[in-house]
Amino acid sequence: MTKKLLTLLLLIYPCLSLAAQDAAEIVKRANDKINGEKSSYSEMKMTIVRPDWERTLEFKNWTKGREYALTLITAPARDRGQSFLKRGSEMWSWNPTISRMIKLPPSMMSQGWMGSDYTNDDILNESSVVDDYIHELAGEEEIEGRLCYRIKMTAKEDAAVVWGHQVRWIDKDDYLFMKAELYDEDGYLVRTELGKNLKIMDGRLIPTILEIIPEDEEGHKTVVEIEKIEFNIPVEDDFFSQQNLKRVR
Amino acid sequence: MITKTAWKNVWRNKVRSLVVIASVAVGIFAGVFAVGVMNGAIDQRADDIFENEIAHIQINHKDFRSNNDLVCNIKNVNSIRDQIGAMEEVESVCDRLFVAGMANTARKSVGVNIIGIDPREEKYVFGLYKELEPGTGDYFGDPEREELAYIGFDLAKNLNIIRYEITDEVADQLKTAGLPAEISGGIRKFTGKRFDNEKSFKKAMRSVLTEDQEKEYGKLILETSQTFRERARFTLTFVDINNHQTGGVFRVGGIYNISNSMYESSYVFVRDHVIRSLVELPENTAHKIIIRLKDVDDTKAVTMKLKSDFPELEVLGWREIQPDMALMTDMAEVMYGFFMALILAALAFGIVNTMLMVVLERTKELGMLTAIGMNRKKVFRMIMTESVFLSLTGGMVGMLISWIIIRITSARGINFGSMQEGFEAMGFSSHIYPDIGIGFFFIVTVLIIVTGVLSSVYPAFKALKLDPAEALRTE
Amino acid sequence: MKNYKMAWRNLWRNRRRTVITSASVFFAVFFAMIMRSLQLGTYDSMYKNIIESYSGYIQVQNEEFWENKIVDNVFNNTAELQSRITEDKNVEDLIPRFESFALASSGSRSKGVMVMGIDPEKEKLLSDVESRLVNYRLTDEAIDAIKAEDIPSYLAKNLDLFRDKSYSSDGSLQIDLGIKEGDEETLMPVLTRYAGVDNSYFSMGEDKALVGDRLARYLGLERGDTIILLGQAYHGHTAAGKYVIGGIIKIPNPELDNKIVYLPVDVCQTLYYAPGMLTSMVVHLKDNDDDAIEGTLARLDSKLDSPYRVLAWKEMNETLVQQLDADDKGGMIMIGILYLVIAFGVFGTVLMMTAERRREFGVLVAIGMQKTKLTGVLVYEMLYLGLLGILAGVAIAVPSIIYGYYHPIHFSASLAKVWEDYGFEPVMKFQWIDKYFISQSLVVAIIVLVAAIYPLIKIRKMKEVNALKA
Repeated sequence: MTKKLLTLLLLIYPCLSLAAQDAAEIVKRANDKINGEKSSYSEMKMTIVRPDWERTLEFKNWTKGREYALTLITAPARDRGQSFLKRGSEMWSWNPTISRMIKLPPSMMSQGWMGSDYTNDDILNESSVVDDYIHELAGEEEIEGRLCYRIKMTAKEDAAVVWGHQVRWIDKDDYLFMKAELYDEDGYLVRTELGKNLKIMDGRLIPTILEIIPEDEEGHKTVVEIEKIEFNIPVEDDFFSQQNLKRVR
Repeated sequence: MITKTAWKNVWRNKVRSLVVIASVAVGIFAGVFAVGVMNGAIDQRADDIFENEIAHIQINHKDFRSNNDLVCNIKNVNSIRDQIGAMEEVESVCDRLFVAGMANTARKSVGVNIIGIDPREEKYVFGLYKELEPGTGDYFGDPEREELAYIGFDLAKNLNIIRYEITDEVADQLKTAGLPAEISGGIRKFTGKRFDNEKSFKKAMRSVLTEDQEKEYGKLILETSQTFRERARFTLTFVDINNHQTGGVFRVGGIYNISNSMYESSYVFVRDHVIRSLVELPENTAHKIIIRLKDVDDTKAVTMKLKSDFPELEVLGWREIQPDMALMTDMAEVMYGFFMALILAALAFGIVNTMLMVVLERTKELGMLTAIGMNRKKVFRMIMTESVFLSLTGGMVGMLISWIIIRITSARGINFGSMQEGFEAMGFSSHIYPDIGIGFFFIVTVLIIVTGVLSSVYPAFKALKLDPAEALRTE
Repeated sequence: MKNYKMAWRNLWRNRRRTVITSASVFFAVFFAMIMRSLQLGTYDSMYKNIIESYSGYIQVQNEEFWENKIVDNVFNNTAELQSRITEDKNVEDLIPRFESFALASSGSRSKGVMVMGIDPEKEKLLSDVESRLVNYRLTDEAIDAIKAEDIPSYLAKNLDLFRDKSYSSDGSLQIDLGIKEGDEETLMPVLTRYAGVDNSYFSMGEDKALVGDRLARYLGLERGDTIILLGQAYHGHTAAGKYVIGGIIKIPNPELDNKIVYLPVDVCQTLYYAPGMLTSMVVHLKDNDDDAIEGTLARLDSKLDSPYRVLAWKEMNETLVQQLDADDKGGMIMIGILYLVIAFGVFGTVLMMTAERRREFGVLVAIGMQKTKLTGVLVYEMLYLGLLGILAGVAIAVPSIIYGYYHPIHFSASLAKVWEDYGFEPVMKFQWIDKYFISQSLVVAIIVLVAAIYPLIKIRKMKEVNALKA
């Protein structure tokens, strides 16, 4: 009897660990897709939706690795010319109206970038989906007409993340993050992120619309639309400088 | 001789003397007791602030108060501490790290002051560890767990760590507390629903309660429905000494409640070595050195000495740190003075009255005394001595009674239950422990004697003016 | 003879006794009134100071603002709204305010600050910002320069103690530096010359800011420098502006001093993309009496509906209200104690009077006076005594209080300074004649009547024979 049980366990164990490995692997692959690029250039549109009003910003975005990013706002007219520079964990902003360069303290960003639902945590902790969680494959589900892995990610004890756990849907064919649900420690849903409108850009299939929906606020939503994106563009480190922040067009 | 006669005279008219003594006793008792209550309340408030928030003296880098930068720290902390610890007046010393940062939960991010402490050492300087809200954990209880933090009640609310939920248990508790059935029924609608913050909870409550019901039971419902997660997870993010963003995950080990929302909503206590390594500050540095004295009245002297010992650092006594506290204690002293003065004035009048009657009544006797040659001065002194006896006896009795009552109440405290909110809002506990210094009793005694003397002046003069011949003829 | 006539004659038969007894009543009334007047006056002025310097008695806001003070919850300050409020008979003026948050930067340093848009002239009805402009700053250079002049040694020593401090008022500076009387004439010009700072106020429309002293130091800015404000404006826009620092102000509360920036309200509205909108409007009243406030509140409440909300000072200053309440109760306890003392005094006097007149009473009854008539006469006597005392008390108290009203008690210099720093007048004020006069008198009257019971009882129980022996 024991022998049978042992054999059974020996058979199951590798499958289980394989499954866990798979889940982590899947997430890593999906993450690498977004963040593994050496550099990128994109033109995006962000719409902030609130119960009483709506605002749309258009901007150009350059990134290099995880350390450098430069954003230039191109519309609406009032905000055109404002630019933001990220170098490591420091951020600067250039505002043409007052022609001044200001170093932004991290606390400024916790309110949501430019008034959106995109928070500080997002901006600085994106890569943690791989390292800070224990991943578990929890079935499959169709999102936007595509079959996805459903992966439950439980935050590790000592991980510097605020979420209790996340559920992510990753497309089986192309390893795209199609949907994410972020939960607090008590298991209450706090935020939902949706990827929509898959298109091929610069030779890749990516979701071109990202919706961030906070759970507790009625009628609040932020929608980011990628209009154009190029990967692995040639860009020097000194492009991401304070001088360039003023000059970039 | 005069004294003995005076004393005997006092007791010649028992009823009258007793009345005067009694009224002086009552006046003194009431005055001293009232001062004791006020004193106790203010002392307590001051003690609370010293105990929990600022201790007696603080030392920091010269620029620290205006510029909360990490680099504004004190070097060679250990030798400075040793030097301070050697001072006689010092009871205990501790040091702290201050890092301004953000506390983040899944829903909220709030700016906070992160204080790195040595939990054990802190206990000798601050009593904050005692202010644990029951049921919320403990004060760094588990030495193994590095990531524990001790946060304020208001911060816990702001971070939505404290939530509100109507459960069956809560409903039962409310019922026991006397919540009327129809209200109970209304709020039960929300059973099982969790509200992340006070605002949404109140909104829901308002939809089932009338304005009056809310006024009366709102607070009770709110407090009973409070719930929170043990060892709740949150992250602290801040900038290190090289200006890089860093941070870590922490867990709420315990929540403190000191009825001072400003303090509670911004101070987060964590183990100092955890913070030190995250911000990369070297050993033997700190942002504040905090001193607790054996006797708070030594503050000024010790502060002056430390200012000259460490001219490159900023040394602040509690009055400079919390000037409004100083204001309050000073004001209080002025009020005591006025109050006692007023009571003594009222009493003095009573004594004048009595002595006058005494004198005028004993016209015949006094006339006789003068006629047989008694020195006028002696008559004067006799009257005065009688007056002093009256007031002193009354005063002694009054002080004795007040001393006894104060002793009793200072041990058990008086509960001003109905005025609780008002007291607590001002930072006073509604449970007061009256207290009086010996010095005060001494002053009161002196004042009573003075009163006795002064009040007898007029009657005594009257006695002197009596014409012996005239006096002998009176009925 | 009628009782009341007899009573009157009795009183004047023994003048000294009458004077003494009614004097005790007089003192009772006098003390009670003085104390109560002082209490009420002092509390009143303290609280009025606090309320009038910030929140005012009545405010109009967007109904969402109080619970959620974000820039989106502003209201439109239309002419129509204004006239609806000002047509009320008790409204003197409207004081606009725009409060929000921003990041203040000097380029190299940034800090989160509170931005207050005010009407430079109208705001004077509330908080006198202009008086908080820093006039002296004891910088290292200033101190060295002053020491180079011929100054007394005590001043040189004190200058070191207060290095780096700023002062808005001459008085504060003089007290800290311990400037002795008589020395001001010679020393003040020296101080002004080296430590004097030139700060100025601003007016509507000027792109000028007033910055808190501590904040300015942190940012490394001085008068004439430019300060940048960056934040979130109405409906998600970016608020960005640069302003010349017109003046540095010093706020006693160090927390606030560390993060306050004042702008003219119209400039502030532009910064936050909210033209014509306000976060709050303080309603300045003609009559500040409790009743007048209540009345105005009710009228405005019914006139202004959603999306506006009318707030009363009590709602906006909950802690203060509770404090007032506690203080009031404390005060009543003190008065209660005073009464206790007084009651004993009155009672004692009556007791003695009764004892004294035992013989007299005995004789009267023995010769045939009805006990009831005697008690009747005595009641009138007590009544007259009480009335005399009360009237005398009131007669003296009224002018004393009136005098005190115009000449409040001033604090000693050092205590005064702390008060002034906090924006309080350093005086103990007297309250004008009010309802409390009646209540005090009534209490004393009751005390007298109760005390009167003693002689009445004594008379009833009296055995004439014993009385005659007295």
